[in-house]
Amino acid sequence: MDFNIIPVELGLSQSWEKHADGLWLAVPDLDVEKVVAWMIAHQARFVTITARPAAGRECRMEYHWDIEGQLLTFVTQTHEGSIASISALCPAADWVEREVHDYFAVDFLGRKNILPLMLRPNDRPGVFSPDEGKKS
Amino acid sequence: MSYRIPIGPYHPALEEPYKIDLVCEGETILETELKVGFNFRGIEYLAEQRNYIQDITLLERICGICSNVHTLSFCRAVETLAGITPPDRAQYIRVVIAELERLHSHLLWAGIAAELIGFQTMFMTCFALREKVMDLLEATSGNRVNYAMNCIGGVNRDISDPEGILNGVNALEKEIVRIVIPIFTTDRTVQARCAGVGLMTKEQALAWGAVGPTARASGLAQDIRKAAPYAAYDRLDFSVPVDSTGDVRARLVVRALEIVESCRLLRQALRDLPGGAWRGPGFMEVPAGEAASRIEAPRGEVFYHVTSDGSEIPHRVRVRTPTFANMPTVCLMLKNATLADAPLIQASIDPCYSCTDR
Repeated sequence: MDFNIIPVELGLSQSWEKHADGLWLAVPDLDVEKVVAWMIAHQARFVTITARPAAGRECRMEYHWDIEGQLLTFVTQTHEGSIASISALCPAADWVEREVHDYFAVDFLGRKNILPLMLRPNDRPGVFSPDEGKKS
Repeated sequence: MSYRIPIGPYHPALEEPYKIDLVCEGETILETELKVGFNFRGIEYLAEQRNYIQDITLLERICGICSNVHTLSFCRAVETLAGITPPDRAQYIRVVIAELERLHSHLLWAGIAAELIGFQTMFMTCFALREKVMDLLEATSGNRVNYAMNCIGGVNRDISDPEGILNGVNALEKEIVRIVIPIFTTDRTVQARCAGVGLMTKEQALAWGAVGPTARASGLAQDIRKAAPYAAYDRLDFSVPVDSTGDVRARLVVRALEIVESCRLLRQALRDLPGGAWRGPGFMEVPAGEAASRIEAPRGEVFYHVTSDGSEIPHRVRVRTPTFANMPTVCLMLKNATLADAPLIQASIDPCYSCTDR
């Protein structure tokens, strides 16, 4: 597959950066649902999401996919601690979103609910957030 | 009238804690709800409080079965960040340890599956064979569980007697081919118990992100060793068994054939073991940046992502284990299955909750 067609077909002006581990595409205001729809239509396999704390309550979000053994990573960020959920389109993302919510309290917009995965029902989400130690 | 059967978090089918609630109509399972996290240890967070060397020890303890793949994935990610290429001999030794680990993991699973099928003698045979693999791992690394073989830039120990391990692998393969493979691939009791049970289609496997033997038994021909080779896999000849049936029997067959392929890989890696150093000069620093690493663990793809801010402590360590990806598919497999098949179906993905919960 010519991976360069992906940003073009998604209407993005950015292009892939080649890293030793795969191809990376950073788009601050990425439409993650549009990406998921494209990836599913092209038989891509969802790998996982890596969330990492950024400034304030924001998180840098990396969506990792696999097509034909090539690791493709879309990098974007939350806005006011939120980002659109992809679990309705991509069931493989359900547990991952719940886990990211547990760790960094990211809100996934559009989910019916976000039950804790690693935490218990009354635990406060965001246990890996940098400020978590200051709250207790 | 439907009724709910709560199983777990502590129950006799597995020695690890998780909870599974089955909503049944008569003997038929209508819905399944899974709960994990009973072993949650916050290992990703802990790895961000320790330096790179300490992290190898920590991450090896994510799992008692596939401990090696965690250190290998982490070391590979750090090597990518630091621009280190381990020597050839280390790459081959990494394959030897990884395939011995796959052998003992698959044999352990085969034993558990045999027990759940009701084939007690096969359970004992598989565990006896697995013990021989553990002996080989102990002879190689000095350890039975956490081998401590990987370091950043290579391996911690050489293999001084490849011929001895090769003889052990050959003897083991003879027994496996004589006993295990025929029973798991052709035995009528196994067929009757497993064929058509716990179905998952190829489309479902892809949509739910299944990995490893679980995905390959639904016709998804994905194996990181082939698709994105690491260590010395690109220099070795092996096949990736795939079965499109998508039932418990297919998961048995795929793993059984993978055992044979592991023996094939071990023979080549031990025969072709190059001379020279088995570790590099060590690393001085990890520059700022980020790198991902993927390994084909016995249960499927392990994904690591390490972010460095240039200090001696990683800024972020992300770990996605194969059972984390595979476990939700159990809900699909259990839908409309009979209650009596539930233990075998959930075990057919070879779940590891220690890995999942991290």
